[in-house]
Amino acid sequence: MSGRVLVVDDEVEMQRALRTGLSYHDFEVRAVGSGEEAISEAATWRPDVILLDLGLPGMDGFVTLKKLRPATRAAVIVISVMPDEKDKVRALDAGADDYLVKPFGTEELVARIRAVLRRQADVTAGEPVIRSGDLEIDIGRRTVTIQGKLVRLTPTEYELLRYLALHAGKPVTHTTLLRQVWGDYAIGDKYNTRYVVAQIRKKLGDDPANPRYIINEPGVGYRLEG
Amino acid sequence: MRPRLAPYAVAIGGVIAITAVIWLISSKTSVPGLSAIYLLLILWLGARWGRGPALVGSVGAFLSYDFFFVPPVNTFTVRDSANVLELIVLLAVALVTSQLAASLRRSRATAEALARESRALYEVATAALRSAEVTAALSMLCRRATELTSVSRFALVAVDSGQPSALAGGDLSPAELKQAAWSHENGRAIGIAVRDGMVSVVRKHPSDSAPAYLPLASGVAVIGIDEDQVTPDELRMLAAVVGLADLLMDRRRAALESERARGLESSDRLKTAILSSLSHELKSPIASLRTGLTALAAPQAGLKDDQRELLVDLDRQASRLDRMVGDLLALSRLEAGLQLDREAHGFSDLVANATRHLRIELASNRLVVELPDDLPPVNVDEVQAGRVVANLLENAHEWAPPGGVIEVGASPRDGMLEAWVENDGPPIATGDLDRIFDTFWTRRVRGSGLGLAICKRVVEAHGGTIRAENRRRGPRFTFTLPLAHVAAPRAQAL
Repeated sequence: MSGRVLVVDDEVEMQRALRTGLSYHDFEVRAVGSGEEAISEAATWRPDVILLDLGLPGMDGFVTLKKLRPATRAAVIVISVMPDEKDKVRALDAGADDYLVKPFGTEELVARIRAVLRRQADVTAGEPVIRSGDLEIDIGRRTVTIQGKLVRLTPTEYELLRYLALHAGKPVTHTTLLRQVWGDYAIGDKYNTRYVVAQIRKKLGDDPANPRYIINEPGVGYRLEG
Repeated sequence: MRPRLAPYAVAIGGVIAITAVIWLISSKTSVPGLSAIYLLLILWLGARWGRGPALVGSVGAFLSYDFFFVPPVNTFTVRDSANVLELIVLLAVALVTSQLAASLRRSRATAEALARESRALYEVATAALRSAEVTAALSMLCRRATELTSVSRFALVAVDSGQPSALAGGDLSPAELKQAAWSHENGRAIGIAVRDGMVSVVRKHPSDSAPAYLPLASGVAVIGIDEDQVTPDELRMLAAVVGLADLLMDRRRAALESERARGLESSDRLKTAILSSLSHELKSPIASLRTGLTALAAPQAGLKDDQRELLVDLDRQASRLDRMVGDLLALSRLEAGLQLDREAHGFSDLVANATRHLRIELASNRLVVELPDDLPPVNVDEVQAGRVVANLLENAHEWAPPGGVIEVGASPRDGMLEAWVENDGPPIATGDLDRIFDTFWTRRVRGSGLGLAICKRVVEAHGGTIRAENRRRGPRFTFTLPLAHVAAPRAQAL
């Protein structure tokens, strides 16, 4: 078994499709149709990953997300037909680890689940060095290298890259980056993050038209390739 | 008739009284120049009643003085030449005084009339403009207009989308309404004219009793006016009332229009809500379909290769359906007036997002992105503008031959960023170059006809333009986006 996945979706067909598809990839799957059930199941069954649909009957998906957080350490991937970027940002800021817009293929979903599980494992192991391709970020020694060559970053640039690295593979919203790097008073100026990211890319020798390390998430924020 | 005679009686009486006073004084002692007392009377008469009584007073004074005081007394005969001169001076001074006093009275009367008129207008205007109910204010105006002696009737006709209807000031006959509609439609007044704040009556036949029609910006004033009784004052007042009515009718129309716009807006919101819920309803089953189909297509499901291929084909169809629903929703949102979340973005970022999104499709093309390093950032909604680039790239991919070249370029021009996407596929038929951006118009059998329509809407929502042309190598789509105004060092970094 490569992990426990709790599906929270009110469509029975979706539940069955996910249960079948994920079981082929050796996941143990349980499915519930409401937020209330999700919270009790998360506490008792202890899943590793929760797939949460935002359009739930009764308790709203966002409310469920907020109530899930203290109840479980499971990674939450929001699955929703809402294509609006504002909803993605809202879900990420409310504690979701990733989002996937419906409809999606099973392969894509499995890749996302594996990514959040890997990240979780890294965090639990307290791995001091985070890698993204040939980029290495050594959290303990505060150094960044590409192919073993040291990259000189300003403290702000390093903080931003470090935060992305600690959440490698996860989209980080502009608001979160601002709060983490500049503190509570800087919220609102997305321009800062864009400027710093452009500077980091330049130092990493990354092509902004085809970035290898820091990926744009349009309308949401940035993600460090995991 | 009495009020007209009274001043003359007073004039004669006054002359007699003053004559008596002068006679009394001159019987006691000899005072020269007593005739000046008459001038006081004449001055007063002129100021009070105008020229007529003052003239009568002047002549009376002249005759009385001559008869009673100029020797030989008790005759009108004058012997002494000095006395002749005195009498002539008296008469001349009396006449001039009466003239002056009369003109003084006239100008005071005019000033008072003007003050009265402007007070009346002010009252009407404030009452009309303060009134929340425009119709009530218009009715009040009509009432005030008919208070004028020469105006027997004053009605206002609204003409909304060509249909005349009586709005205030009483009902009109169908023929009158028709006449009013004609007047409004052609902008021609009938039987009346307004020029330089004055109304003038234009009658072809004196016996004509039909009302006059005066077209206003958003209606018609129908006025029954008696030509024989009109005075300049009343015409001025009438012109002012017409002006106010014009203003109020305009306000009424503006209120109606904004109400209509609110209605449209709420129907747009409703449309968006329906489409959004509809797309949710359509997307949920597609989601189950795709998840189920791709689940079964996994090798672990243990199906044969031809069965798996069928499932992959079906999944591709489901994806197509999903894209079409997504495009429909995007288009309907754009048409309902989508709020743009505009910020400074590097155009290269938009291209990078789009090429990442389409990396599987574009793998079979040679993509050449040539953007100058110092390209200034654009002020756009990242997601929407990214959609434009993605749709144009997708379109280029569809039309470029296998392994064909897709070129992306941009340069600043006239305060905008001009960008283009070109492919080396077959040219677009000249007649299609304009239609290509129409909704549901497509060159492909399987196309939705929405991709380019969305591009056009997004670009135009940003204040830009988009066009298609055939270049030597192949079709090129050129569009413009507004530049962002940001500090220079940061701009270069983006």
